[in-house]
Amino acid sequence: MQCNWLLSGPLHWFRFVDKQVRVKAGKDEEHLGWLLTVDPVSASVVLLNFREDAALVHVVVGHSVKNVEVLQEPDPEMTERLRSFFLPLTTPILDP
Amino acid sequence: SISSSAASESDAEELQKEQHARSVLRERFLRCLLAATNKKVRFHMHENVNVEATFRTSDIDVLNFQVSDLHTPIGVQKEALIRCQDVISFTFDM
Repeated sequence: MQCNWLLSGPLHWFRFVDKQVRVKAGKDEEHLGWLLTVDPVSASVVLLNFREDAALVHVVVGHSVKNVEVLQEPDPEMTERLRSFFLPLTTPILDP
Repeated sequence: SISSSAASESDAEELQKEQHARSVLRERFLRCLLAATNKKVRFHMHENVNVEATFRTSDIDVLNFQVSDLHTPIGVQKEALIRCQDVISFTFDM
């Protein structure tokens, strides 16, 4: 889909957020998962794969990403699950 | 043709959109790094090298990862820095 992932920019990366994708990386590797984010500094891709009671987090470092392809759009439930996945359960109180 | 003021207005709008995307993406990534802290992480590196370590942190521009108990083929390195350039991907369980 793109020849230079590193230079694609935030607006391009943002289009893949929350979608199920296939990432081609390194020489001939492929990773599937729900795309949580792309680090705008290093272009690293964070993928999530849900299992019964756990999740596997896969970070593909930006320089080795060759290609990202959308496989599936998320339903609202998945979008919410991804949005809240790394959020802390409680809000810290900052009052002295 | 677009007048220069209209062009700069749409540029500003575009820039704002880009900055918003950038901030959402970066926050999610930093929370991911935070979640990885003190977890067992498997690094997949070039030449089909796979090593395990306890993830500690990364520098802000993600050039190095700081890890503990790095299991190398010749022994366990108590503390180590892994160059991001040498890594293809890494995984951990949540």
